[in-house]
Amino acid sequence: MKLGPDERWDLIDSIASQVVTYGKYRHTLKDAIGELTVKPMTGIPIAIAVLYGFWSVFGSFAGTLCTDGFFVKLFDGYWLPWLQGVFPGEGGWLYSILIDAGGMTNGEFILSDNCFEAFGVLTSGLFVAIGVVLPAIVIFYLMLTLLEDIGYMPRLAVLIDTVLHRIGLHGYAIVPTILSLGCNVPAVTATRILETRKQRFIMMTLLAIFIPCGAQLGIMEEVIPELIGYALLYLVIGYFIFGFILNRIVPGKSPEILIDVPSYQKPMIANVRRKLWMRVSSFFKVAVPFVLLGCVVVNVLYLVGFIQWLGDILAPVFVGWFGVPKETAGPLVAAFLRKDLAVAQLSVIEMTQYQMLSAVVLVSIYFPCVATFAMMLKEGWKELIGSVAVLAVVVFLYGGIIHLIGKLIGVA
Amino acid sequence: MAEKNNLVMICIAILGVVTVAFGLADILVSAGGDGTELSILEIPGDMFRGGWGGFIVLFAGLFYLSGCKNVAEVHNASKVAMGSVLIWIMAGTDIFAMITESIPGGEDGPWFNSLSGFLGTYAPPYAPAMFLLPFSLVVVYYILKQERTR
Repeated sequence: MKLGPDERWDLIDSIASQVVTYGKYRHTLKDAIGELTVKPMTGIPIAIAVLYGFWSVFGSFAGTLCTDGFFVKLFDGYWLPWLQGVFPGEGGWLYSILIDAGGMTNGEFILSDNCFEAFGVLTSGLFVAIGVVLPAIVIFYLMLTLLEDIGYMPRLAVLIDTVLHRIGLHGYAIVPTILSLGCNVPAVTATRILETRKQRFIMMTLLAIFIPCGAQLGIMEEVIPELIGYALLYLVIGYFIFGFILNRIVPGKSPEILIDVPSYQKPMIANVRRKLWMRVSSFFKVAVPFVLLGCVVVNVLYLVGFIQWLGDILAPVFVGWFGVPKETAGPLVAAFLRKDLAVAQLSVIEMTQYQMLSAVVLVSIYFPCVATFAMMLKEGWKELIGSVAVLAVVVFLYGGIIHLIGKLIGVA
Repeated sequence: MAEKNNLVMICIAILGVVTVAFGLADILVSAGGDGTELSILEIPGDMFRGGWGGFIVLFAGLFYLSGCKNVAEVHNASKVAMGSVLIWIMAGTDIFAMITESIPGGEDGPWFNSLSGFLGTYAPPYAPAMFLLPFSLVVVYYILKQERTR
Protein backbone atom coordinates (compact mmCIF):
# COMPACT_ATOMS: atom_id res chain seq x y z
CA MET A 1 0.00 0.00 0.00
CA LYS A 2 1.40 3.38 -1.02
CA LEU A 3 0.49 6.51 0.96
CA GLY A 4 0.41 10.00 -0.40
CA PRO A 5 1.97 12.96 1.50
CA ASP A 6 -1.32 13.97 3.17
CA GLU A 7 -2.08 10.41 4.24
CA ARG A 8 1.41 10.07 5.66
CA TRP A 9 0.97 13.25 7.72
CA ASP A 10 -2.38 11.94 8.94
CA LEU A 11 -0.73 8.71 9.99
CA ILE A 12 2.00 10.64 11.81
CA ASP A 13 -0.63 12.74 13.62
CA SER A 14 -2.57 9.65 14.61
CA ILE A 15 0.55 7.90 16.02
CA ALA A 16 1.71 11.09 17.77
CA SER A 17 -1.69 11.59 19.40
CA GLN A 18 -1.41 8.08 20.87
CA VAL A 19 2.14 8.33 22.18
CA VAL A 20 2.72 12.02 23.00
CA THR A 21 1.12 13.73 25.98
CA TYR A 22 0.78 17.50 25.77
CA GLY A 23 0.64 19.60 28.88
CA LYS A 24 1.70 22.89 30.35
CA TYR A 25 5.34 22.99 31.47
CA ARG A 26 5.74 23.94 35.09
CA HIS A 27 9.09 24.90 36.53
CA THR A 28 9.43 22.62 39.54
CA LEU A 29 11.62 22.81 42.62
CA LYS A 30 13.71 19.95 41.21
CA ASP A 31 14.33 21.93 38.00
CA ALA A 32 15.32 25.03 39.96
CA ILE A 33 17.72 23.03 42.16
CA GLY A 34 19.16 21.46 39.00
CA GLU A 35 19.84 24.94 37.61
CA LEU A 36 21.55 26.03 40.83
CA THR A 37 24.08 23.20 40.49
CA VAL A 38 25.23 24.30 37.01
CA LYS A 39 25.44 28.06 37.53
CA PRO A 40 28.99 28.97 38.64
CA MET A 41 27.95 31.36 41.43
CA THR A 42 25.90 28.71 43.19
CA GLY A 43 27.28 25.54 41.58
CA ILE A 44 30.87 26.01 42.77
CA PRO A 45 29.98 26.16 46.51
CA ILE A 46 27.77 23.11 46.00
CA ALA A 47 30.60 21.26 44.21
CA ILE A 48 32.94 22.20 47.09
CA ALA A 49 30.39 20.79 49.55
CA VAL A 50 29.94 17.58 47.53
CA LEU A 51 33.71 17.07 47.43
CA TYR A 52 33.88 17.69 51.19
CA GLY A 53 31.19 15.07 51.76
CA PHE A 54 32.93 12.67 49.40
CA TRP A 55 36.28 13.04 51.14
CA SER A 56 34.87 13.00 54.66
CA VAL A 57 32.89 9.79 54.11
CA PHE A 58 35.93 8.25 52.38
CA GLY A 59 38.18 9.02 55.37
CA SER A 60 35.67 7.97 58.02
CA PHE A 61 34.75 4.68 56.39
CA ALA A 62 38.05 3.55 54.91
CA GLY A 63 40.42 5.05 57.49
CA THR A 64 38.63 5.25 60.84
CA LEU A 65 36.26 2.32 60.62
CA CYS A 66 37.82 -0.34 58.41
CA THR A 67 41.60 0.10 58.38
CA ASP A 68 42.29 1.66 61.80
CA GLY A 69 39.26 0.12 63.48
CA PHE A 70 39.67 -3.50 62.46
CA PHE A 71 42.27 -4.37 59.83
CA VAL A 72 45.32 -2.88 61.57
CA LYS A 73 44.43 -4.85 64.68
CA LEU A 74 43.80 -8.02 62.70
CA PHE A 75 46.97 -7.85 60.62
CA ASP A 76 49.42 -6.38 63.18
CA GLY A 77 48.03 -8.10 66.25
CA TYR A 78 47.26 -11.58 64.93
CA TRP A 79 48.21 -12.28 61.32
CA LEU A 80 51.79 -10.90 61.36
CA PRO A 81 52.89 -12.44 64.71
CA TRP A 82 51.31 -15.77 63.76
CA LEU A 83 53.10 -15.93 60.41
CA GLN A 84 56.37 -14.73 61.98
CA GLY A 85 56.08 -17.62 64.44
CA VAL A 86 55.06 -20.48 62.18
CA PHE A 87 57.06 -19.73 59.04
CA PRO A 88 60.49 -21.36 59.17
CA GLY A 89 63.84 -19.83 58.21
CA GLU A 90 63.70 -16.47 60.00
CA GLY A 91 66.14 -14.04 58.35
CA GLY A 92 66.45 -16.17 55.20
CA TRP A 93 65.68 -14.86 51.73
CA LEU A 94 62.37 -16.70 51.35
CA TYR A 95 61.29 -15.50 54.81
CA SER A 96 62.21 -11.93 53.85
CA ILE A 97 60.23 -12.08 50.63
CA LEU A 98 57.13 -13.80 51.96
CA ILE A 99 56.87 -12.77 55.62
CA ASP A 100 59.16 -10.08 56.97
CA ALA A 101 62.13 -8.28 55.46
CA GLY A 102 62.84 -7.04 59.04
CA GLY A 103 65.96 -5.10 59.88
CA MET A 104 69.48 -5.69 61.18
CA THR A 105 70.59 -4.18 64.51
CA ASN A 106 74.11 -5.02 65.74
CA GLY A 107 74.20 -7.97 63.35
CA GLU A 108 70.97 -9.36 64.74
CA PHE A 109 67.80 -9.85 62.66
CA ILE A 110 64.94 -7.84 64.17
CA LEU A 111 61.34 -8.71 63.28
CA SER A 112 58.96 -5.93 62.26
CA ASP A 113 56.06 -5.13 64.57
CA ASN A 114 53.61 -3.93 61.95
CA CYS A 115 52.58 -4.78 58.43
CA PHE A 116 53.71 -1.46 56.97
CA GLU A 117 57.31 -2.30 57.87
CA ALA A 118 57.37 -6.07 57.32
CA PHE A 119 57.09 -5.81 53.54
CA GLY A 120 56.45 -9.51 52.98
CA VAL A 121 54.08 -10.70 50.28
CA LEU A 122 51.81 -12.47 52.77
CA THR A 123 51.95 -9.68 55.36
CA SER A 124 52.31 -6.20 53.82
CA GLY A 125 51.04 -7.38 50.45
CA LEU A 126 47.79 -8.76 51.85
CA PHE A 127 47.42 -5.95 54.36
CA VAL A 128 47.70 -3.29 51.66
CA ALA A 129 45.39 -5.13 49.26
CA ILE A 130 42.69 -6.13 51.74
CA GLY A 131 43.15 -3.94 54.79
CA VAL A 132 43.76 -0.61 53.09
CA VAL A 133 42.85 -0.70 49.40
CA LEU A 134 39.64 -2.74 49.55
CA PRO A 135 37.69 -0.41 51.90
CA ALA A 136 39.06 2.66 50.11
CA ILE A 137 38.01 1.39 46.70
CA VAL A 138 34.59 0.15 47.84
CA ILE A 139 33.59 3.46 49.42
CA PHE A 140 35.10 5.51 46.59
CA TYR A 141 33.23 3.67 43.85
CA LEU A 142 30.02 3.56 45.91
CA MET A 143 29.97 7.34 46.23
CA LEU A 144 30.98 7.87 42.61
CA THR A 145 28.17 5.56 41.47
CA LEU A 146 25.66 7.41 43.65
CA LEU A 147 26.72 10.77 42.23
CA GLU A 148 26.43 9.40 38.69
CA ASP A 149 23.03 7.81 39.24
CA ILE A 150 21.58 10.82 41.05
CA GLY A 151 22.55 12.89 38.01
CA TYR A 152 25.16 15.14 39.57
CA MET A 153 28.11 14.16 37.33
CA PRO A 154 26.79 15.76 34.09
CA ARG A 155 26.16 18.95 36.05
CA LEU A 156 29.70 18.88 37.39
CA ALA A 157 30.88 18.45 33.78
CA VAL A 158 28.94 21.57 32.73
CA LEU A 159 30.19 23.50 35.73
CA ILE A 160 33.85 22.69 35.19
CA ASP A 161 33.76 22.95 31.39
CA THR A 162 35.13 26.52 31.24
CA VAL A 163 38.02 25.71 33.57
CA LEU A 164 38.94 22.53 31.69
CA HIS A 165 38.89 24.39 28.35
CA ARG A 166 41.87 26.37 29.66
CA ILE A 167 43.88 23.16 29.66
CA GLY A 168 42.62 21.95 26.29
CA LEU A 169 39.93 19.63 27.66
CA HIS A 170 36.20 19.98 28.17
CA GLY A 171 33.65 19.19 30.87
CA TYR A 172 33.50 15.46 30.14
CA ALA A 173 37.19 15.22 31.11
CA ILE A 174 35.87 15.21 34.67
CA VAL A 175 34.82 11.57 34.11
CA PRO A 176 38.34 10.13 33.57
CA THR A 177 39.68 12.57 36.17
CA ILE A 178 37.37 11.34 38.91
CA LEU A 179 37.54 7.71 37.77
CA SER A 180 41.30 8.03 38.04
CA LEU A 181 40.97 8.84 41.73
CA GLY A 182 39.71 5.27 42.01
CA CYS A 183 42.10 3.59 39.59
CA ASN A 184 44.10 4.99 36.67
CA VAL A 185 43.53 1.88 34.56
CA PRO A 186 39.81 2.34 33.72
CA ALA A 187 40.44 6.09 33.58
CA VAL A 188 42.86 5.63 30.68
CA THR A 189 40.10 3.78 28.82
CA ALA A 190 37.63 6.52 29.76
CA THR A 191 39.78 9.10 27.93
CA ARG A 192 38.09 7.76 24.76
CA ILE A 193 35.14 9.94 25.78
CA LEU A 194 37.23 12.89 24.51
CA GLU A 195 37.04 13.62 20.78
CA THR A 196 40.51 14.52 19.57
CA ARG A 197 43.95 12.92 19.90
CA LYS A 198 45.24 16.11 21.49
CA GLN A 199 42.61 15.94 24.24
CA ARG A 200 43.19 12.24 24.86
CA PHE A 201 46.96 12.76 25.06
CA ILE A 202 46.66 15.66 27.51
CA MET A 203 44.16 13.78 29.66
CA MET A 204 46.17 10.55 29.71
CA THR A 205 49.37 12.39 30.59
CA LEU A 206 47.76 14.46 33.33
CA LEU A 207 46.01 11.55 34.98
CA ALA A 208 49.11 9.37 34.84
CA ILE A 209 51.17 12.10 36.50
CA PHE A 210 48.97 14.12 38.80
CA ILE A 211 46.06 11.99 39.92
CA PRO A 212 46.67 9.58 42.80
CA CYS A 213 44.61 6.39 42.64
CA GLY A 214 42.27 5.22 45.42
CA ALA A 215 44.83 2.75 46.72
CA GLN A 216 47.41 5.48 47.01
CA LEU A 217 44.92 7.83 48.64
CA GLY A 218 44.01 5.11 51.14
CA ILE A 219 47.66 4.65 52.11
CA MET A 220 48.26 8.41 52.21
CA GLU A 221 45.26 8.79 54.51
CA GLU A 222 46.78 6.08 56.71
CA VAL A 223 50.43 7.16 56.88
CA ILE A 224 50.42 10.93 56.36
CA PRO A 225 46.92 12.10 57.36
CA GLU A 226 48.17 15.54 58.39
CA LEU A 227 49.99 16.13 55.09
CA ILE A 228 47.54 14.67 52.61
CA GLY A 229 45.78 18.00 51.99
CA TYR A 230 49.04 19.70 51.06
CA ALA A 231 50.11 16.78 48.86
CA LEU A 232 46.78 16.96 46.98
CA LEU A 233 47.09 20.72 46.68
CA TYR A 234 50.49 20.34 45.00
CA LEU A 235 49.00 17.76 42.63
CA VAL A 236 45.98 19.90 41.73
CA ILE A 237 48.18 22.93 41.06
CA GLY A 238 50.50 20.79 38.92
CA TYR A 239 47.51 19.34 37.04
CA PHE A 240 46.40 22.80 35.92
CA ILE A 241 49.84 24.35 35.33
CA PHE A 242 51.12 21.50 33.19
CA GLY A 243 47.73 21.08 31.53
CA PHE A 244 47.88 24.73 30.49
CA ILE A 245 51.41 24.26 29.12
CA LEU A 246 50.49 21.05 27.27
CA ASN A 247 47.49 22.79 25.72
CA ARG A 248 49.86 25.42 24.33
CA ILE A 249 52.49 23.07 22.93
CA VAL A 250 50.52 20.01 21.78
CA PRO A 251 49.11 20.51 18.27
CA GLY A 252 45.47 19.66 17.56
CA LYS A 253 41.94 20.80 18.31
CA SER A 254 39.92 21.08 21.50
CA PRO A 255 36.28 21.15 20.41
CA GLU A 256 33.27 22.32 22.42
CA ILE A 257 30.72 19.88 23.83
CA LEU A 258 26.97 19.71 23.99
CA ILE A 259 25.80 17.88 27.12
CA ASP A 260 22.32 16.59 27.74
CA VAL A 261 21.79 17.16 31.47
CA PRO A 262 19.23 14.72 32.88
CA SER A 263 16.96 15.65 35.77
CA TYR A 264 17.89 14.55 39.27
CA GLN A 265 16.58 11.12 40.13
CA LYS A 266 16.59 8.55 42.89
CA PRO A 267 19.32 5.95 42.29
CA MET A 268 18.16 2.36 41.78
CA ILE A 269 19.77 -0.01 44.30
CA ALA A 270 20.14 -2.83 41.76
CA ASN A 271 22.03 -0.54 39.35
CA VAL A 272 24.27 0.82 42.11
CA ARG A 273 25.05 -2.72 43.28
CA ARG A 274 25.85 -3.92 39.75
CA LYS A 275 28.09 -0.96 38.94
CA LEU A 276 29.87 -1.19 42.27
CA TRP A 277 30.54 -4.90 41.86
CA MET A 278 31.76 -4.46 38.29
CA ARG A 279 34.19 -1.70 39.24
CA VAL A 280 35.51 -3.20 42.47
CA SER A 281 36.00 -6.67 40.98
CA SER A 282 37.77 -5.38 37.87
CA PHE A 283 39.99 -3.19 40.05
CA PHE A 284 40.92 -6.17 42.17
CA LYS A 285 41.70 -8.37 39.21
CA VAL A 286 44.26 -5.78 38.15
CA ALA A 287 45.48 -4.47 41.50
CA VAL A 288 45.93 -7.48 43.79
CA PRO A 289 48.35 -9.40 41.52
CA PHE A 290 50.41 -6.22 41.11
CA VAL A 291 50.49 -5.54 44.86
CA LEU A 292 51.75 -9.06 45.56
CA LEU A 293 54.13 -9.06 42.60
CA GLY A 294 55.34 -5.62 43.68
CA CYS A 295 56.27 -6.95 47.12
CA VAL A 296 58.23 -9.84 45.57
CA VAL A 297 60.12 -7.69 43.06
CA VAL A 298 60.96 -4.93 45.52
CA ASN A 299 62.14 -7.43 48.14
CA VAL A 300 64.30 -9.21 45.57
CA LEU A 301 65.76 -5.88 44.42
CA TYR A 302 66.57 -5.03 48.06
CA LEU A 303 68.09 -8.44 48.69
CA VAL A 304 70.39 -8.28 45.65
CA GLY A 305 71.46 -4.75 46.60
CA PHE A 306 70.01 -3.07 43.50
CA ILE A 307 68.05 -0.48 45.47
CA GLN A 308 71.09 0.43 47.54
CA TRP A 309 73.14 0.79 44.34
CA LEU A 310 70.45 2.89 42.66
CA GLY A 311 70.11 5.07 45.74
CA ASP A 312 73.87 5.73 45.72
CA ILE A 313 73.86 6.62 42.03
CA LEU A 314 70.83 8.89 42.26
CA ALA A 315 71.81 10.41 45.60
CA PRO A 316 72.97 13.77 44.14
CA VAL A 317 69.63 14.22 42.34
CA PHE A 318 67.52 13.06 45.28
CA VAL A 319 69.36 14.97 47.98
CA GLY A 320 70.51 18.02 46.02
CA TRP A 321 67.66 18.64 43.57
CA PHE A 322 64.57 17.09 45.18
CA GLY A 323 65.69 17.58 48.79
CA VAL A 324 64.72 14.09 49.96
CA PRO A 325 66.90 11.35 51.51
CA LYS A 326 68.61 8.96 49.08
CA GLU A 327 66.71 6.05 50.69
CA THR A 328 63.61 7.23 48.78
CA ALA A 329 65.13 5.68 45.64
CA GLY A 330 63.70 2.32 46.76
CA PRO A 331 60.10 3.49 47.05
CA LEU A 332 60.42 5.24 43.71
CA VAL A 333 61.39 1.95 42.07
CA ALA A 334 58.52 0.24 43.90
CA ALA A 335 56.18 2.97 42.69
CA PHE A 336 56.43 1.61 39.17
CA LEU A 337 54.82 -1.60 40.41
CA ARG A 338 52.43 -0.17 43.00
CA LYS A 339 52.35 3.44 44.16
CA ASP A 340 50.44 2.54 47.32
CA LEU A 341 53.25 0.20 48.37
CA ALA A 342 55.75 2.95 47.66
CA VAL A 343 53.98 5.40 49.97
CA ALA A 344 53.88 2.69 52.66
CA GLN A 345 57.64 2.26 52.22
CA LEU A 346 58.21 6.00 52.54
CA SER A 347 56.44 6.02 55.91
CA VAL A 348 59.27 4.06 57.52
CA ILE A 349 62.10 6.27 56.23
CA GLU A 350 63.31 8.93 58.65
CA MET A 351 62.74 12.40 57.22
CA THR A 352 61.27 15.79 58.02
CA GLN A 353 57.60 16.53 57.39
CA TYR A 354 58.37 18.60 54.30
CA GLN A 355 60.68 15.90 52.94
CA MET A 356 57.86 13.39 53.46
CA LEU A 357 55.46 15.70 51.62
CA SER A 358 57.95 16.13 48.74
CA ALA A 359 58.60 12.39 48.60
CA VAL A 360 54.87 11.54 48.51
CA VAL A 361 54.27 14.07 45.73
CA LEU A 362 57.29 12.68 43.84
CA VAL A 363 55.95 9.14 44.14
CA SER A 364 52.62 10.36 42.78
CA ILE A 365 54.05 12.16 39.78
CA TYR A 366 57.07 9.98 39.14
CA PHE A 367 55.63 7.30 36.87
CA PRO A 368 52.32 5.62 36.17
CA CYS A 369 52.12 2.21 37.81
CA VAL A 370 52.86 -0.72 35.49
CA ALA A 371 49.15 -1.53 35.01
CA THR A 372 48.43 2.02 33.83
CA PHE A 373 51.58 1.88 31.71
CA ALA A 374 50.26 -1.26 29.97
CA MET A 375 46.88 0.38 29.44
CA MET A 376 48.46 3.48 27.93
CA LEU A 377 50.49 1.28 25.59
CA LYS A 378 47.22 -0.28 24.45
CA GLU A 379 45.93 3.19 23.57
CA GLY A 380 48.95 3.85 21.33
CA TRP A 381 52.74 3.65 21.66
CA LYS A 382 53.26 7.18 20.34
CA GLU A 383 51.02 8.57 23.09
CA LEU A 384 52.86 6.48 25.66
CA ILE A 385 56.29 7.71 24.58
CA GLY A 386 55.01 11.28 24.52
CA SER A 387 53.51 10.94 27.99
CA VAL A 388 56.70 9.43 29.40
CA ALA A 389 58.77 12.25 27.90
CA VAL A 390 56.45 14.85 29.43
CA LEU A 391 56.54 12.96 32.69
CA ALA A 392 60.35 12.96 32.87
CA VAL A 393 60.42 16.73 32.39
CA VAL A 394 57.56 17.29 34.87
CA VAL A 395 59.15 15.16 37.60
CA PHE A 396 62.45 16.95 37.29
CA LEU A 397 60.96 20.45 37.13
CA TYR A 398 58.12 20.04 39.61
CA GLY A 399 60.26 18.08 42.08
CA GLY A 400 62.79 20.91 42.01
CA ILE A 401 60.10 23.57 42.34
CA ILE A 402 58.62 21.86 45.41
CA HIS A 403 62.08 21.76 46.98
CA LEU A 404 62.57 25.44 46.10
CA ILE A 405 59.22 26.39 47.66
CA GLY A 406 60.23 24.53 50.82
CA LYS A 407 63.53 26.42 50.90
CA LEU A 408 61.81 29.77 50.35
CA ILE A 409 59.37 29.24 53.20
CA GLY A 410 62.16 27.82 55.36
CA VAL A 411 60.88 24.27 55.88
CA ALA A 412 63.16 22.32 53.51
CA MET B 1 -1.12 34.92 53.77
CA ALA B 2 1.23 37.92 53.47
CA GLU B 3 1.75 37.86 57.23
CA LYS B 4 2.61 34.19 57.11
CA ASN B 5 5.10 34.82 54.30
CA ASN B 6 6.71 37.59 56.30
CA LEU B 7 7.03 35.31 59.30
CA VAL B 8 8.65 32.60 57.17
CA MET B 9 10.99 35.17 55.65
CA ILE B 10 12.04 36.40 59.10
CA CYS B 11 12.62 32.86 60.38
CA ILE B 12 14.75 31.88 57.38
CA ALA B 13 16.64 35.17 57.53
CA ILE B 14 17.45 34.58 61.21
CA LEU B 15 18.57 31.04 60.38
CA GLY B 16 20.69 32.48 57.55
CA VAL B 17 22.36 35.03 59.83
CA VAL B 18 23.10 32.42 62.49
CA THR B 19 24.47 30.05 59.83
CA VAL B 20 26.71 32.74 58.36
CA ALA B 21 27.94 33.55 61.88
CA PHE B 22 28.74 29.88 62.52
CA GLY B 23 30.52 29.62 59.17
CA LEU B 24 32.65 32.67 59.88
CA ALA B 25 33.41 31.38 63.38
CA ASP B 26 34.53 28.05 61.88
CA ILE B 27 36.84 29.78 59.42
CA LEU B 28 38.30 32.22 61.92
CA VAL B 29 38.87 29.61 64.62
CA SER B 30 40.52 27.18 62.20
CA ALA B 31 42.69 30.02 60.86
CA GLY B 32 43.89 30.47 64.46
CA GLY B 33 44.89 26.79 64.52
CA ASP B 34 43.20 25.63 67.74
CA GLY B 35 39.62 24.43 68.13
CA THR B 36 37.28 25.95 70.72
CA GLU B 37 34.63 24.44 72.99
CA LEU B 38 31.78 26.52 74.36
CA SER B 39 29.65 24.26 76.54
CA ILE B 40 28.00 21.86 74.08
CA LEU B 41 29.27 23.72 71.01
CA GLU B 42 32.58 22.74 69.47
CA ILE B 43 34.25 24.74 66.75
CA PRO B 44 36.85 22.53 65.08
CA GLY B 45 40.32 23.93 64.58
CA ASP B 46 41.56 21.76 61.73
CA MET B 47 41.66 23.04 58.18
CA PHE B 48 39.44 20.25 56.88
CA ARG B 49 36.39 20.50 59.16
CA GLY B 50 36.95 24.05 60.32
CA GLY B 51 38.34 25.66 57.19
CA TRP B 52 36.79 23.76 54.30
CA GLY B 53 33.70 22.89 56.34
CA GLY B 54 33.42 26.50 57.55
CA PHE B 55 33.18 27.74 53.97
CA ILE B 56 30.35 25.29 53.33
CA VAL B 57 28.42 26.46 56.42
CA LEU B 58 29.05 30.06 55.36
CA PHE B 59 27.68 29.37 51.87
CA ALA B 60 24.68 27.59 53.38
CA GLY B 61 23.92 30.78 55.30
CA LEU B 62 24.31 32.88 52.16
CA PHE B 63 21.93 30.56 50.30
CA TYR B 64 19.35 31.04 53.09
CA LEU B 65 19.75 34.80 53.01
CA SER B 66 19.58 35.07 49.22
CA GLY B 67 16.41 32.96 49.05
CA CYS B 68 14.53 34.13 52.13
CA LYS B 69 12.82 37.19 50.59
CA ASN B 70 10.07 35.37 48.74
CA VAL B 71 10.17 31.66 49.51
CA ALA B 72 6.89 31.10 47.69
CA GLU B 73 8.78 31.68 44.43
CA VAL B 74 10.40 28.47 43.17
CA HIS B 75 13.89 29.87 42.51
CA ASN B 76 14.13 31.34 45.99
CA ALA B 77 12.75 28.13 47.47
CA SER B 78 15.46 26.16 45.64
CA LYS B 79 18.17 28.39 47.13
CA VAL B 80 16.82 27.86 50.62
CA ALA B 81 16.54 24.10 49.98
CA MET B 82 20.13 24.06 48.75
CA GLY B 83 21.26 25.87 51.90
CA SER B 84 19.68 23.03 53.86
CA VAL B 85 21.37 20.43 51.65
CA LEU B 86 24.76 21.98 52.46
CA ILE B 87 23.94 21.80 56.18
CA TRP B 88 22.98 18.13 55.74
CA ILE B 89 26.28 17.38 54.05
CA MET B 90 28.15 18.92 56.98
CA ALA B 91 26.01 17.42 59.74
CA GLY B 92 25.64 14.11 57.90
CA THR B 93 29.39 13.64 57.56
CA ASP B 94 29.82 14.57 61.25
CA ILE B 95 27.24 11.97 62.27
CA PHE B 96 28.81 9.38 59.94
CA ALA B 97 32.24 10.12 61.48
CA MET B 98 30.75 9.56 64.97
CA ILE B 99 29.23 6.26 63.88
CA THR B 100 32.52 5.01 62.41
CA GLU B 101 34.37 6.05 65.58
CA SER B 102 31.85 4.49 67.92
CA ILE B 103 31.97 0.92 66.57
CA PRO B 104 35.63 -0.26 66.90
CA GLY B 105 37.07 -0.88 70.36
CA GLY B 106 40.19 1.24 69.97
CA GLU B 107 43.83 0.36 69.35
CA ASP B 108 44.45 -1.65 72.54
CA GLY B 109 40.86 -2.50 73.43
CA PRO B 110 38.56 -5.31 72.33
CA TRP B 111 37.32 -5.67 68.74
CA PHE B 112 34.10 -3.76 69.41
CA ASN B 113 33.45 -0.77 71.64
CA SER B 114 31.73 -1.18 75.02
CA LEU B 115 28.16 0.11 75.34
CA SER B 116 29.29 3.10 77.41
CA GLY B 117 32.11 3.86 74.97
CA PHE B 118 29.69 3.53 72.08
CA LEU B 119 27.17 5.92 73.61
CA GLY B 120 29.93 8.25 74.83
CA THR B 121 30.98 8.94 71.24
CA TYR B 122 27.62 10.56 70.59
CA ALA B 123 27.83 12.87 73.60
CA PRO B 124 28.33 16.63 73.09
CA PRO B 125 30.11 18.88 72.21
CA TYR B 126 28.86 19.08 68.63
CA ALA B 127 29.98 21.09 65.62
CA PRO B 128 27.74 24.06 64.57
CA ALA B 129 26.17 22.16 61.64
CA MET B 130 24.65 19.67 64.10
CA PHE B 131 22.73 22.47 65.82
CA LEU B 132 21.55 23.83 62.48
CA LEU B 133 20.36 20.40 61.28
CA PRO B 134 16.89 20.37 62.92
CA PHE B 135 16.12 23.87 61.66
CA SER B 136 17.24 22.96 58.14
CA LEU B 137 14.89 19.97 58.23
CA VAL B 138 11.96 22.19 59.21
CA VAL B 139 12.79 24.61 56.40
CA VAL B 140 12.87 21.83 53.81
CA TYR B 141 9.64 20.34 55.16
CA TYR B 142 7.98 23.73 54.67
CA ILE B 143 9.37 24.12 51.14
CA LEU B 144 8.30 20.62 50.08
CA LYS B 145 4.83 21.21 51.51
CA GLN B 146 4.65 24.44 49.58
CA GLU B 147 5.82 22.69 46.38
CA ARG B 148 3.07 20.08 46.72
CA THR B 149 0.38 22.73 47.08
CA ARG B 150 1.77 24.87 44.24
